[in-house]
Amino acid sequence: MTTRTSTEDARAPSLPEPPGGTAPRRPASWTGLWFVLPFVACYALFLVWPTLTGLGYSLTDQSLSGAPAGFVGLANWQEALADPNVWSSLRNTLVFTALSVPPLVLVGLGMALLTDRARRLGWFLRFAFFAPFVLPVAVVTLIWVWIYQPGIGLINGTLAALGLGEVNWLTDERFAMLSVVATTTWWTAGFNYLLYLAALQGIPREVHEAAALDGAGSWQRLRGVTLPLLRRTTALVLVLQLVASLKVFDQMYLMTIGLPDAATRPIIQYVYESGFTGFRIGYASAVSYLFFAVVIVASIVQFRLFSRKED
Amino acid sequence: MAATTTPRAGARTGPARRAPRIRVTPGSAVLYAVAAACALLWLAPLLWAVATSVKPEAETTAVPVRWLTDNPTTQAYASVLARGDLLRWMANSAIISVLVTALTLVLCVLAAYGFAKCRFPGRGWLFAVVVAGILVPPQVLIVPLFAQMGLMGLVDTYWGIALPQVVAPVMVFVLKRFFDGIPAAYEDAARMDGAGPLRVLWSVVLPMSRPVLAAVGIFTFVGAWNNFLWPFVATTDPAMMTLPVGLGTVQGAYGLQYAQTMAAAVISALPLLVVFLFFQRQIVSGIAGVGIKG
Amino acid sequence: MRRAAGTPPSPSRRSLLAGTLAAAGLGLAGCGPADSVLDDRTRLRQWNLFTGGDGARMVEMHERYTAEHPDIDFRPTTYLWGDPFYTKFAMGAAGGRASDIATLHLSRLANMAPGRLIDPIDEGALAEAGISGEVLPPDIWERCFVDGALYAVPLDTHVVVTYYNREVCRSAGVLDAGGRLVETRGVAEFVDLLTEVKAVTGEFGTVLDTTNPWQYFWAMYRQQDGRMVFGDDDFEMDDDKALAALDVLRRLSEEGLAPRSSDAPGTPPNFANGRGGLGLMGNWEIPTFETAGMDFSVTQFPDLFGNHRTRGDSHVYVLPHQRERDPEVTAAAVEYAAWMLRNSLTWAGGGHIPAYRPVVESEEYLAMRPQSEYREAAGNVELDPDIWFSGSAARLSTEATAVFSGLHQGTTTPEESLTRFKDAVRALVRVPAPI
Repeated sequence: MTTRTSTEDARAPSLPEPPGGTAPRRPASWTGLWFVLPFVACYALFLVWPTLTGLGYSLTDQSLSGAPAGFVGLANWQEALADPNVWSSLRNTLVFTALSVPPLVLVGLGMALLTDRARRLGWFLRFAFFAPFVLPVAVVTLIWVWIYQPGIGLINGTLAALGLGEVNWLTDERFAMLSVVATTTWWTAGFNYLLYLAALQGIPREVHEAAALDGAGSWQRLRGVTLPLLRRTTALVLVLQLVASLKVFDQMYLMTIGLPDAATRPIIQYVYESGFTGFRIGYASAVSYLFFAVVIVASIVQFRLFSRKED
Repeated sequence: MAATTTPRAGARTGPARRAPRIRVTPGSAVLYAVAAACALLWLAPLLWAVATSVKPEAETTAVPVRWLTDNPTTQAYASVLARGDLLRWMANSAIISVLVTALTLVLCVLAAYGFAKCRFPGRGWLFAVVVAGILVPPQVLIVPLFAQMGLMGLVDTYWGIALPQVVAPVMVFVLKRFFDGIPAAYEDAARMDGAGPLRVLWSVVLPMSRPVLAAVGIFTFVGAWNNFLWPFVATTDPAMMTLPVGLGTVQGAYGLQYAQTMAAAVISALPLLVVFLFFQRQIVSGIAGVGIKG
Repeated sequence: MRRAAGTPPSPSRRSLLAGTLAAAGLGLAGCGPADSVLDDRTRLRQWNLFTGGDGARMVEMHERYTAEHPDIDFRPTTYLWGDPFYTKFAMGAAGGRASDIATLHLSRLANMAPGRLIDPIDEGALAEAGISGEVLPPDIWERCFVDGALYAVPLDTHVVVTYYNREVCRSAGVLDAGGRLVETRGVAEFVDLLTEVKAVTGEFGTVLDTTNPWQYFWAMYRQQDGRMVFGDDDFEMDDDKALAALDVLRRLSEEGLAPRSSDAPGTPPNFANGRGGLGLMGNWEIPTFETAGMDFSVTQFPDLFGNHRTRGDSHVYVLPHQRERDPEVTAAAVEYAAWMLRNSLTWAGGGHIPAYRPVVESEEYLAMRPQSEYREAAGNVELDPDIWFSGSAARLSTEATAVFSGLHQGTTTPEESLTRFKDAVRALVRVPAPI
């Protein structure tokens, strides 16, 4: 709004302010548009356009096979809302989110506190705790599928050596989700760890020392000083982690590929299966949008909580 | 270490009191033992992969489970490398990650500078639209985007894999916030000398922005290197696949040969692990930086 | 386009940059992998879904093919069987840069959109390479045509067969003088046989894959001439025949003649380690038991309802759709498929029954044991019903599996599972066909 009026103001008198003037604001011109144009063009082509065509496809029976498509109104949306697979995969995504966010945040925090205290090991600890995060997901799943292997895997082998029973970590419905959560924690807790670590190292040492002089033990210092100072970081970590967990697909798909998948099929995988395995581009677009709605709702709720905390 | 002798660091951290405390208290011994144990536990899966990869194939499935073999061999590595596709995927990942990082930096820096430092009609709402894009998860777009790539003939091409990843509104946001913080006086000085906006960006703003550029670059590169979903959707030809996609979808020679599978995993893990070893500080601060600002 | 004074002509520099990038990108995008540019051989990319014993046979054949064809740069790729393969196949074909030739299940041909995702094969070129309807099983060959055009070249037929552990069966007294499993007719006789075998193993009469009951159901339903007829928003099937077939599944597990729970990877080991004297499995498991060094043989699927019809399918070669088809590569692809058929004796080693008649009639094949023991099964093969959601690893069989496996586990009755199955199929029928 303000931008536009100022442009008009500038244009109305034929000779506006002197160019050499030390005005705090530069005059508006089209130059800036040239700077943003390349990005905006890509943005329009690869984000805005598919967002709109996706909405369009959801109203048609567009097929991957390229068969002629027709307008079907809200049929896809009605079908999606009544499709038990949509709800079960959405539930899987939400269960995964609920199960994975706490360990991902707490493990990240724990590792950061350890690193912050045991400074002499700093380099080694940073490497150990963060290294998994730089691994490609397929490497992570190859390693963990092998670790979870019945009979000969590391975990079951160790359990057997201890005289304990075997667990079919990935094929038993009761454990498959937990196994994926454990792997995810190992893989990506390093990110939250870095955020916490950066925050911890931003706390001036004097704060601790003052508390120590007051006679606070290390546990009291943690509870009374450190954790309250980390509140903002925790809010940030929670926001990022929640959205990241909602978008789960890679490791779940790769770890339980070819297995009875209903128990660990996230909603994105159902989108993939409907659209590409089942050819139904139109229907998959409608399901995508249902998921989109969930993410937006989650973001709004978080934004509200987050901004309240900021105050 | 050296920090103890420099007065500035000494004033901030008070090492005279801190250093001896670590050495003496029994509490810190426990702390260090716990920290080291946790770190080892966290590294265990990687170590187990390495341990498996140097076993003769027949020993990998031996019961009871053993960590170390008496007959270490590099046979599995030789077999995996002989197949060649792993190196091809790695090359594809490198090409795509470099392409994505370079394009992201160029496009996002230009856009962020335009939004931060130039005033043009429609700037406000255009920026709002771009920032709103942060809310659109790329996962939502895979189906329409694949259809679009099909129409554009970009399925199974490097451009098809890279271009959608270049659109990173978060990075525009992060960079703009940084540019906003650069006092106008610096630019005004350059402008007095007759420099145009591009010149100002290149010789004034960018040199002052090295940390944030490094952060955005590193974040983008790691993200592109490890991205799975879109490259997985956009490629069906194994010759065009990136490392995570090829490893995750192409079956075959590895089959149930665990030594080879783990050798492939270790080789695939190496590039970024090595980079991380050498540039730990930059990567840590880069990722934390973008994470916090974004 | 008016710009403030003092602005440098920066767009030209930017467009230069963009142009360079675009040019570099076209170079990257236009051709395939860089190393093929310098290679003047014809590059032939093949996609397949064989990871088991048959995969090993295919690798062996490919090694010979490569040796005999120095002018071809042959690039096979194996994907995980089932949905992961079919999805990549469809997406590659939709993208227009799919492989030059690929394997497929014949039962999936119709739902892979022939004409759109699959390109037709020139019958003349194939005949020149020695392959035509005259050297292939007529029923199978017929199903390779869609709307009068040829879309597939069948490599084999593969079926569910009966494996028997000779040691166990000899002790149970169910081998004939020639050392073959005695013939049974009808459910009662088969149950009697299993009971005798169970007495020897102490555990099961037969092992079977309780996570894929569809294959057994379809075999038994077809043995009774049962049909599934699909209409626009409903379908019909014969409830009595379906119930008779489902009741066999229930009964085998309930009476302890078969396991209550045994998944696909677990079933062959259950047979190999003698928990069951018989095994109802696909013929592709033969290499597994040969490797295990078992004394075993194979016969047709049991005659439970008057004949030996069995659920089966056929691996075929197809040309995935390509936007720009290179005639030279297409010719090489057809020639490759013909070569594989002509040399499918090796393929038979993996258990599949070759489609190419000269191979099945050859003395070498007749001398192959146990392969030649069940070759008549090729005439009893029942493909899944002809509807877009049916075929190997397609929705129909996964829905059926989800419902019917409860019969083995004892958590449902035949009546209940049939009702649920019909509901699931009805829901599928009402899904708009995407083909």
